Amino acid sequence: MSIYSSVASNTMPNRVLPVLGCLALALVWLLDLGVIQPNRIVPGTGHGLISAVGGPWAGLVSLVLAGCVLLSFLPLRRRYLPLLGLVGLSLALLPLLLEVFAGRHLPEDAPYARSSIGAGFWCLLFLLSLMLIEILGRLGSGRGLQLMILAVIVGSWLWILRGGGLESLSLVREFNARPDKFEQALWTHLALAFGAVGISAGLAFLLALKMIRSVAWRRPILGAVSFLQTIPSLAVFGLLIAPLSALAAAFPALQAMGIRGIGWAPALLALVAYSLLPMVRNTFVALTEVPESLADAGRGMGMNERQLFFKLKLPLALPVIVEGVRITTIQAIGLTAVAALIGAGGFGSFIFQGLGQAAMDLVLLGALPTIALALLADALLTMLAASLKPTPATA
Amino acid sequence: MRVWLPPVMLTVLLCALSAGMPALEPLFEWMQPDKQNVIYERESFLFLLQNHLMLVVISALVGTVAAVAGGIFATRPAGRDFLPLVSQIASIGQTFPPVAVLALAVPVLGFGEAPILVALILYGLLPILRNTLAGLEGVDATVRQAALGMGMSPFQVLLQVELPLAGRVILAGIRTSVTINIATAAIGSTIGARTLGDPVIAGLVNGNTAYVLQGAILIGMLALTVDSLFEAAERVWDRRFLPQTAG
Repeated sequence: MSIYSSVASNTMPNRVLPVLGCLALALVWLLDLGVIQPNRIVPGTGHGLISAVGGPWAGLVSLVLAGCVLLSFLPLRRRYLPLLGLVGLSLALLPLLLEVFAGRHLPEDAPYARSSIGAGFWCLLFLLSLMLIEILGRLGSGRGLQLMILAVIVGSWLWILRGGGLESLSLVREFNARPDKFEQALWTHLALAFGAVGISAGLAFLLALKMIRSVAWRRPILGAVSFLQTIPSLAVFGLLIAPLSALAAAFPALQAMGIRGIGWAPALLALVAYSLLPMVRNTFVALTEVPESLADAGRGMGMNERQLFFKLKLPLALPVIVEGVRITTIQAIGLTAVAALIGAGGFGSFIFQGLGQAAMDLVLLGALPTIALALLADALLTMLAASLKPTPATA
Repeated sequence: MRVWLPPVMLTVLLCALSAGMPALEPLFEWMQPDKQNVIYERESFLFLLQNHLMLVVISALVGTVAAVAGGIFATRPAGRDFLPLVSQIASIGQTFPPVAVLALAVPVLGFGEAPILVALILYGLLPILRNTLAGLEGVDATVRQAALGMGMSPFQVLLQVELPLAGRVILAGIRTSVTINIATAAIGSTIGARTLGDPVIAGLVNGNTAYVLQGAILIGMLALTVDSLFEAAERVWDRRFLPQTAG
C-alpha cells in the first residue's frame, strides 16, 4: 500500500503546488509590493508589481511562478529537483525585488524617505515558503538537505543586505537607529527565556521524581502546574507586581538585588511558573514509561537502583524530556515578549514601543526576531531530540 | 449534574466581581493610599468582560468551523494531496508566538477590534486543526471499513462514525485554542481592543497597582471559568461515549 502510493504520488501531477503558485501569482499582481513613505510616521503610497519593479522584473516574477505551476503539472519523475532549485533560488533572491523597488522609487533629495515592504511581498514570501515546505516533503528529504537550503537562503539574504541596496528599507533604518539597543534586547530576551527554562527544568525534575516516588503527590502537583498554565500571562504579570513590591519594600536587601514589582524579577517568576507544566508532564511521562522488562533486564545484570536510573532510565527518557524543553522554550520566548509590558526588556519592548508610537517598522523589528528565535529554538531542539533517540545496536 | 457546579459557581463569582468591583474600594484604598482613583472607571468591568468574551467566542466559533472543515477536507480522498502541507502548517504555525502574530496583524490591518479578531481566528485555528487531523487520522481503518460494509455512504461514515470518534480530541483542541485566545485577547488591549486587559495596561502606564490588580483578577477568573466549563463538558462527553467504546 505505502509503496504504491509513494510511487503514484511521485509521477501523478501534484495539485498543491499549482494552487499555491496560482494564488501567489494572483496576489503579487493584486496587492502592493512595496510602499514609499516620505518619513517615519506618515502613511506612504503603495506600488503594485509593474509600478514597483518595472516590466522586465514583473515579467520574470510571473514567469518563475508560472514555471513552477507548469513543472508541477508535468507527470515527470524527477520534477521535484528542478522545482526545488527554482523555488529555493527565488526565495534566496527575493530581497533583490526590494532593492530594485527602492532604486526606482526613492527620491534622491529626501533623506527621511524610506521604502517599506508591502503586503504583496509578504504574500509572495509566505507562499514561496509553503511551496518549499511542500517540495521538501515530497522529496522526503533528510534534515541535512533542509538545513543546507535554509542556510543558503539566509546567507543570500544577509549578503544582499550587506550590499547596501536596502539601506532605505524602513526595517533596516529602524535597526540602524538603535543597533546597541537591539543587541541588548537580544541578550535580555535570551537570558530571560533560557534562564526560566533552566530553572524550571531543574524544578520540574525534582517534582517529577517526587511524583514517581509517591503516588499521593501526583494529582496535586499536576493540578497545580496546569492551574498555573491556565491563567493568562498578562494576569500573572499583573498579580505579581503588588506582592513583589511589598517584599522589596520590606527587605532592602532584595531591592539592592534589583527585585522590584516590575522588571526582570516578576517576569522570570511568571516564566518559570508557565514553564513547569510541559516540563513536569514530559519528564514524568518519560521516566515512568520506560518498559519494566528493560528495568528487569538491568537488575538481572546486577545494576543497583542508582545505576538503573542513570544508565538506563534517564538515557531512554531523554528524547521525551528534550521535547518538553522544546515546547517550554518556544513558549518562554513568546511570553518574554509580553513581559516587556512590565518593563522586563527584550524584543517585546520594540513591539509595544512601536505600537505606542504607531511606528509599524519598529513593531516589525521586535516581532520578526521573536519569531525567528522561536523557529530557531524549535529547529535546534527538534534536532537534538532526534539525535538522542537510542538506536538499536543490532540494526 | 454535579459536574456543572464548579463552572456555574465560577460564573456567578465572575459576574458578581465585575459588577461589584466598586464595592471593594476600601480594600484597594488600603493597598494604594497615595492615589486619588483606585477603581478603574473608564469603562464598566461588565462591558469589558462582555467585549472580551465576545472576541473569544467569535474567534472560537469561526476557528472551529474553519479548522474542522479544513481537517475534513485534508483527510478525504479529494484533499489527500494537501494533508502533508496542512499538518506542517498546523505545527510550524504554533511555534509563532501569539504576541508576534498580534503585532504583525497591526501593520497589515491597522488598529482596533478587526485585526485582533483576525489574529485570534488565525492563531486559534492551529491547535483545533492539529487535533482534528490527529482525531480523524486516529480513527481505526477497520472501523471505517466496517461502516462502509454496512452500507453507509462516505458522508454518513464521516458524520456518524468518524466525527463522533474524533470529537473528544477536537474538543481538547478547542479548549487549548480558547485558553490561548483569552490570554491573547487581553494583550490585544495594547492595539486598541477594549478587553479586560485595559485596566492592566492603564495601571502599568500610570503606575496604579490597584487598576492592574482589578484587571488581572478578572482576566484570571475569566480563564478559570471558561476552563472549568470545558472540563465539565469533557467529563460529560466521556461519560456519554467512553463506556460504549470500552464495552
